[in-house]
Amino acid sequence: MAKQVLLVLGVWLAGTAVAQAAPVVELEIRNHLFYPAELVVPANTKVKLLVINHDATPEEFESYELNREKVIMGNSKAVIFIGPLSPGEYPFFGEFNMNTAQGKVIAQ
Amino acid sequence: MLLNAIIIVLRETLEAGVLISVLLSVARHQQLARGAVVQGLLLGVAGAMIYAVNLQTVSEWFDYAGQEVINAAMQYLIYACLLLVCLSIGRAPLLPGLALQRLLRLVVMLAVIREGAEILLFYSSYWHRSDVLLRVLTSGFMGLMIGFSVGALCYYTLINLPLMWAGRVQRVVLTFMAAGMVAQATQLLLQVDWLPGGAPLWDMSAWLPESSLLGELAYATLGYEAAPTPVEVGLYLGALLLIPVAYTIARKWRTGTLLHD
Repeated sequence: MAKQVLLVLGVWLAGTAVAQAAPVVELEIRNHLFYPAELVVPANTKVKLLVINHDATPEEFESYELNREKVIMGNSKAVIFIGPLSPGEYPFFGEFNMNTAQGKVIAQ
Repeated sequence: MLLNAIIIVLRETLEAGVLISVLLSVARHQQLARGAVVQGLLLGVAGAMIYAVNLQTVSEWFDYAGQEVINAAMQYLIYACLLLVCLSIGRAPLLPGLALQRLLRLVVMLAVIREGAEILLFYSSYWHRSDVLLRVLTSGFMGLMIGFSVGALCYYTLINLPLMWAGRVQRVVLTFMAAGMVAQATQLLLQVDWLPGGAPLWDMSAWLPESSLLGELAYATLGYEAAPTPVEVGLYLGALLLIPVAYTIARKWRTGTLLHD
């Protein structure tokens, strides 16, 4: 039993180590707009998205294509892992400000 | 913006609304006090306020995975509760009425906390903008009413079923909703890399886009995901099958057939 627990823990830690190695891509929110609106990321690779919200109000990062949904509080940052993605375009938007907050991830 | 507020509130209300309506019909068929569901609703609203106020802090837990971990934990807990509810509807109920009543209160509370917190956060941006606040509030109210109507439709459909069918239909609906909770929770843990991601097994977004009304409804009731990863599919199927299997075993055990074998 103890062995199994150790094994599971080992696999989990190995997974975490891989996660830390994932390339980091930054995305900023200002005045309900995403900067950059087009994020280029490597295809077939897990990417760590660091979202920094400079607005005072919360925003919800949402993408049907990426299967992601996360509230990012005002003046704070958040981490979202995406991929591995096959080459292509993946639109995302800020659900709380859909009219302006639009962007896309381009995997290549 | 008007449409935006309707959609946001509707999306959040739809799932909680359908779940609450099914649980209300369970309370009615099991002759339980439906007040428990209302209490759950009120506790959920209070919980949503507390959660929304503290979300900033929660988000930073577990190296910025806090929001997902807490939400996923709530959803896995809802699954466990719905499993027990399913085992308690039928000829050989697992839980006595009072315990089932408490369980219903807990599920409703948990379901409202998460969805409610999101609505409150959306509105927090407009709280000081008196120019648009009224418009956003009335739009949100419309969304709430549409969600409420769908819930009411479910409720009246269920309570008008013949009694011999009602329990079975409730179990099936709750099983799919419970498995949907597992699918959503799993997706949250994928998003913070607590579970391994991977290439999707298939992509159905061309046939049933998640952003369509039907897609949203399927998401709320079945945990529909147009392009799921292997982990999601595996856990979803496991969660889906566990309930009927547990039900069959529990019924055999309760009716004593296992002892006679």
